[in-house]
Amino acid sequence: MTAQETDLDPEFRERVVGTMTTVLDRLLDRPEPVTEDMRLMEELGLSSTLGLELMLELEDQLEILIDVELMDQDQMRTVGDLATFVAGHSRPA
Amino acid sequence: MTAMEAVSVYLPPTRTPVESLAGSLGLTDMQVRLFKRFHGLSEVGRDPDASLYDLLMMAAAGLDALRGRQHRVRYVLYARAMPVVVPYPVNPLHEVCQALGLGHALAFTLTHQSCASGLLAIDLAGRLLAADEAGRPGGAGGGDGQDCADGPLALILSGEKAFTREAQMFADTTIFGEGAAACLVSAFGTRDRLLAYASSVRGEFDSATGANDARLQREYRPSLAEVMRQALDEAGLTLDDISVVLPHNVNLVTWQRMCTLLAFPRDRVLLDNIPTSGHVFCADMFVNYQTACERGLLRRGDPYLAAAVGAGGGATFSAMVFEH
Repeated sequence: MTAQETDLDPEFRERVVGTMTTVLDRLLDRPEPVTEDMRLMEELGLSSTLGLELMLELEDQLEILIDVELMDQDQMRTVGDLATFVAGHSRPA
Repeated sequence: MTAMEAVSVYLPPTRTPVESLAGSLGLTDMQVRLFKRFHGLSEVGRDPDASLYDLLMMAAAGLDALRGRQHRVRYVLYARAMPVVVPYPVNPLHEVCQALGLGHALAFTLTHQSCASGLLAIDLAGRLLAADEAGRPGGAGGGDGQDCADGPLALILSGEKAFTREAQMFADTTIFGEGAAACLVSAFGTRDRLLAYASSVRGEFDSATGANDARLQREYRPSLAEVMRQALDEAGLTLDDISVVLPHNVNLVTWQRMCTLLAFPRDRVLLDNIPTSGHVFCADMFVNYQTACERGLLRRGDPYLAAAVGAGGGATFSAMVFEH
């Protein structure tokens, strides 16, 4: 567990998850709603370009700046993993 | 040992904001914002009044080291990313050679490694010159570390016009900027000496089919890191020894992530030109080299690394280590 993860604000992380799933529902136009345990690549087919679009939407809606350069895609298999990263690697805009 | 004797760069003084390209490139507002926020591409050089010939000539005009030494230039290599840039029989390379007094030189184009063709040109120029010298009676150049005052030279030209949409951007990845560079290469010079070159040609990543695009996205950074390590190994160096990395100007986030992957400090990668010049095709390395010199980032004896990826009809990952 990283320092950022131990310091995570669970409430903020929940807001990230909520916003992320809503944005992904729209971006991916899936018949089923996106949930936290879904795998980004294998299940949702999220490309890195769409991933950046998702980050931009999160920045807008949550009024934050995300350190996208620190993202390690290998460490982020699920929607929940990505939400944890965003909650731990962002600051107010 | 192959050496870059001198480098000259021309970038159009006119800058075009990415927003104003949105219409012609068919970019959505979101794509423009992505280019600016994460890719760090704010504006690019465009010179609508300059032809390809003009761009190349303006770069060559700044190459003071060429003056009075035209007779020593044996090869002119034009490194470019686009396979076709003018209608037949127009040949800006030959026109530039005539104008520069280099009609005697063997001139040809390198293009099949896309934006990595610039690094290939340096390697090839050095090898051609060295082979000529090795075959000359009594000729082995001056030997490494000695300046060969009358030895043969090669001129590398690079730079392109962003004519069509395909030549203006790589979807969701980069926007190309116009500009040009000229570089004089010798086989046995003392500056900047080429210590190592590593390159990996991956034909399976052919953008024409798009079949392996997702795999290319996944393997892009690890593959580039691998050739960088190979070049460093060949040079007997580690990343810690490298004073500055001269990247290809594909975008900011790719290089920020490369730094994370390599555990290399971001302030030692020269990213200055990405926001203002964009990806200047094969000329990025030369553009960034000039900026590094202007900013005093390279001192005599400093090892530095240049890296490039050419993506198109296959992908090429290349890295070179030099000593300033």
